[in-house]
Amino acid sequence: MSSRLSSELRERRVDAVMSYSLLVLAAAFAIFPFIFMLSTSFKSEAESLSLPVSWIPKHFTLQAYSEMWTLKPFGVYFWNSIVVSGVTAVLSTVVGALAGYGFSRFQFRGRTSLLAFFLATQMISGVLVIGPYFQILAALDLYNTLTGLIIAYVTICLPFAAWMSKGYFDSIPKELDEAGLVDGASRLQIFFRIICPIAVPGTVSTLLFAFLLAWQDLLWAMCLVSIDEKRTVTLGVAYLVGEFVIQWPMLTAASLIGSLPTILLYLFLQRYYVEGLARGAVKG
Amino acid sequence: MRSGHAWHDRHIGYLFVLPATLMLVVVLIFPAFITLKASVTPQGGAGWHFTLAHYQKTLHDPVLLQTFKNTFAFVAWSLVGHFILGLSLALALNQALPGQTFFRLVALIPWTIPDVVAGIFFRWVLNPIHGAMNPLIRMVFPSFPAEFTWLSNPTLAFPSVIIANVWRGYPLVMVMLLAGLMAIPRELYEAAAVDGAGRLRRFFHITLPGLSTIITIALALDMVWEFRRFALVVAMTGGGPGTLTEVLSTLVYKTYFQFFTFEYASAMAILMSAVLFVLSLPYIILVGRER
Repeated sequence: MSSRLSSELRERRVDAVMSYSLLVLAAAFAIFPFIFMLSTSFKSEAESLSLPVSWIPKHFTLQAYSEMWTLKPFGVYFWNSIVVSGVTAVLSTVVGALAGYGFSRFQFRGRTSLLAFFLATQMISGVLVIGPYFQILAALDLYNTLTGLIIAYVTICLPFAAWMSKGYFDSIPKELDEAGLVDGASRLQIFFRIICPIAVPGTVSTLLFAFLLAWQDLLWAMCLVSIDEKRTVTLGVAYLVGEFVIQWPMLTAASLIGSLPTILLYLFLQRYYVEGLARGAVKG
Repeated sequence: MRSGHAWHDRHIGYLFVLPATLMLVVVLIFPAFITLKASVTPQGGAGWHFTLAHYQKTLHDPVLLQTFKNTFAFVAWSLVGHFILGLSLALALNQALPGQTFFRLVALIPWTIPDVVAGIFFRWVLNPIHGAMNPLIRMVFPSFPAEFTWLSNPTLAFPSVIIANVWRGYPLVMVMLLAGLMAIPRELYEAAAVDGAGRLRRFFHITLPGLSTIITIALALDMVWEFRRFALVVAMTGGGPGTLTEVLSTLVYKTYFQFFTFEYASAMAILMSAVLFVLSLPYIILVGRER
């Protein structure tokens, strides 16, 4: 008995050592490009191009962080990204939750096929539809507007949002709905007053998913926006990298600031995301 | 009274799913059909003239062939990397070791960063003169060439893009597998330990079977995402040198929005989607059956 205990202890120690080595290596891999970016963003342009390459700036400067707002319109890009991502997150979550509730609670005809259809639309590549969508927007005078972008992003998020919230609603007992019906509430009232408040953790993960998708997208923004005033952060950064002479400190500073909202959101809300994934997408 | 309720319910179900369905049809399905129509319409032609010329052209297009090969390799190697890193990290993180929250957060960082930024990161890190990669390698192997080129090197450009994409994409697989691991009841492991089952046996008889559904779903979703990866390639190499790192998304985009051959781009996009559909068919059937 005691020998088994000791061998188990040894096994656990070996596991811990292996795990820690793996985690340290992976952490280095994950963080190393990030650290170099951070270092570059605090250099002057001359120092970023001087040799030998240094990991710690010799002359620490915030020049790049101030020039991105003055020499380039990153303030405008940021505002655009915030509007687009925020509105996308809210709209796709609401519309997706409505659909998820419909799928979860009602046995209407064609329900299974419609669910399969939702799932199948996730397979549609952006490049398959972006050309005609661009033409439609142009015809509606919505080319070069944030509205055109938002409609696209909300739609792309819908299958995921519906799928996730359906999984979530499935885990909420139907007796709650029935109690509401007995009390004479309408289906819509039950949805908004009884079910939604309980489903908040599921909603947070969908909000996050949609926000991240809209914030990070490049393809749609690249095709649907051509004027500076309507560019998003990712688009602004992508244009910087396409310029003939790349100013690396400013580009890295802008990239890092542009990643800040997604990094922060994720770090604060990752518990919800994992929970949501486990409920909505992962649970077979 | 009860049956009246049921009748009402059946119809109100449609109202709940209507807005989402409508948006999907207008924004995705309708444009997809327009693309399909354009792909069989003569170059610059309007109306309903039918031609298969664009599809015939795709059969003899060396760039498209190269791009298809690239995309397959890109997806396959990315999945391999994501799976190996994702599973081993999930296993390591599932042991509730001290400091695991810190490691989990650090390991997640690549995922929280937009694709474009990831591409820019690696473009700068791999810069032959001013980047950090060459000095880092020279610290370990001093004989390594000082101005070694990665992204303009025909043999190394593509593997470099794949490594960047492994970096970018493993955390999501890790998170999903970690959620799956946490869902496996501890008692199973305890019972197995009492029965004297070793580490490997427990892994193959409890962990892997317990994870199989999640692994399938994670890799299937990942495949769809990697097949369409766009921004990372655009920011990192723009498809170059030449067309060596071109993937289907970037090629279709260029054909459409830079060369303005809409009809040919449409044919490419249809082909790409057909291939993706066939590849993901097993997953669709699997999930459809389970629901």
